[in-house]
Amino acid sequence: MDIFLQQLINGLTIGSLYALVALGYTMVYGVMKLINFAHGDLVAFSAYVGLTIFSQLFGSSATSFVSVIIIFVLTSIIVAFVGVLLERLAYRPLRTAPRLSAVVSALGAALVIQNGIMLIWGPNMLIFPADLLPNTTWNIGGVIITFTQVCILILSAVLMAALYIFINKTKMGTAIRATAIDQDAAKLMGINVNRIIMIIFIIGSILGAIGGLFIGLYYRALIFDMGWLYGLSAFIAAIIGGIGSIPGAMIGGLLLGLFNALIAGYISTEWAETFTFILLIIILIVRPTGILGEKTAEKV
Amino acid sequence: MNKTTAIATLFVVVMGVFPFLVDSAWLSIGITFLVFATVAFSQDIILGRAGVFNMGHAIFFGMGAYTTAILNVHFGFEIIATLPFAIILPAIIALLLAGPIIHLRGDYLLVATIGFNIIFEQVLKNDIFGLTGGPNGIFGIDVVRVFGYELFSDKAIYYIAFALLLITLLIIRNLDNSRYGRALYYINKDEIAAKSMGINIPYYKLFAFALGAAIAGAAGSVFAVQYSAVSPESFNFMQSVMFFAIVLVGGSASLPGVIIGTFVMFVLPELFTEFKESRYLIFGAAMVLTMVLRPNGVWPATFGNIPKFLKPKKGVK
Repeated sequence: MDIFLQQLINGLTIGSLYALVALGYTMVYGVMKLINFAHGDLVAFSAYVGLTIFSQLFGSSATSFVSVIIIFVLTSIIVAFVGVLLERLAYRPLRTAPRLSAVVSALGAALVIQNGIMLIWGPNMLIFPADLLPNTTWNIGGVIITFTQVCILILSAVLMAALYIFINKTKMGTAIRATAIDQDAAKLMGINVNRIIMIIFIIGSILGAIGGLFIGLYYRALIFDMGWLYGLSAFIAAIIGGIGSIPGAMIGGLLLGLFNALIAGYISTEWAETFTFILLIIILIVRPTGILGEKTAEKV
Repeated sequence: MNKTTAIATLFVVVMGVFPFLVDSAWLSIGITFLVFATVAFSQDIILGRAGVFNMGHAIFFGMGAYTTAILNVHFGFEIIATLPFAIILPAIIALLLAGPIIHLRGDYLLVATIGFNIIFEQVLKNDIFGLTGGPNGIFGIDVVRVFGYELFSDKAIYYIAFALLLITLLIIRNLDNSRYGRALYYINKDEIAAKSMGINIPYYKLFAFALGAAIAGAAGSVFAVQYSAVSPESFNFMQSVMFFAIVLVGGSASLPGVIIGTFVMFVLPELFTEFKESRYLIFGAAMVLTMVLRPNGVWPATFGNIPKFLKPKKGVK
């Protein structure tokens, strides 16, 4: 039972990370109908940026909450800027082009970011500092919870709630939802679609940056091509929940995190990815629209 | 003799005499080119002609290579005798994998095929049934023997690869002129219209998938013989991304496009070893730039789809 509860906590933590990253995919897909393959690498990039800011600004000394907040804010700004740049250079010129052209452009952008990371920080594994957050752990009836896990769970929940309120209750959120349903109609209603897409990329990149920093804090080991895996996992989470749906991405993320943790805890770690992708394929076959996805008419 | 035929003839003649003009380093680059061009053409049957978003093509290439390696090393088959298996097995697996997902909309299909590729990679790395040799792969694949005569030189492998490419091109030409080719063309152009004309869409898409997989499997077999070894890295998801990109960057359903794509992606890095480190960065940037400037690829097919800049001058062909 202890293993189950322990894996439950671990799964929820990983699931929150997936959910944060999945939101970036699902929002871009919802509005642009494009799989932003570069998003996962942007997440990896943010972990590296965070690590560099830490070592440049604070050296290797143990740090306070203020410095952690500074790292998060600076990283978010940098990654949001790169995200907007990505949209401008690689996606905007292709908005009216054939679907596959945009996919290739996204893959190209992913390669650029991934190998840019490799050229800047090198191909070897880097280790995230252990003392960035307090190393406090709690033992509740044999289940160990770390301070980092608590931070991840709470902050993700807050961010997701904030995003949900932003999308559903504000004027800008309404504009985003309108653009997702029909870009041309939204344009006719006076919505600046370019601006909406830019905002989506900014929000998605910031959530991805926070996700990337948490990945650094939680797993600690960074490798230049880790973006593929986290990105694909998050994307699967988005599909499980129903791509294009924001609550779907959150639920999908949590479910996939739990699924992964239980597979790793009870079956095998070597085959963990295989199980993830088998789950994906089963979901695609049985219910391609995901848990919360709407059934849309086939686009011609 | 029209221009296309002339260029094609020139290409075949140059490739035919190439082994006699160059040293062994260039010869192996030549083999690489032929093998990867064959795989790229087989991907073009699926992606370019049938319009099936397949991003797991390295699976079939790898399956061919591993079939030859496993049958030869573990079961003592002659290389020639492994070839039919290396062709048929990928085709069957392609049907089994694609069957349940072929009806999915484009992007979902793309993600499903990525999933298959990553599962395939894990199967190879985890040494399934003790056959695939784990992360190191399989070494010591035999040389090709025909009637007891050993074809061990690089020149022999070159001509095997060359023959395979020519057969592939012949198959593609026959396909384009056949009922199947026309069906695929209309499915790709307008799926709903094709459906309403009574074309059995899943059937033709699966046919293209199996055909592409079979050709990729044969190419994989040659690849295994060239290096006398196979390892999982050659058939990972990244490799599939490359084949996917070659077809779309070069120009889908376009023979010169695929040749250019293969040359840029697989031959250039062999020529400039000093840029191997930044190779993918440059390719990534080139992929974005090409798509921005020419969304249909560098050299798109002109069959029934004449590029805009040619229209006023030449009119409708």
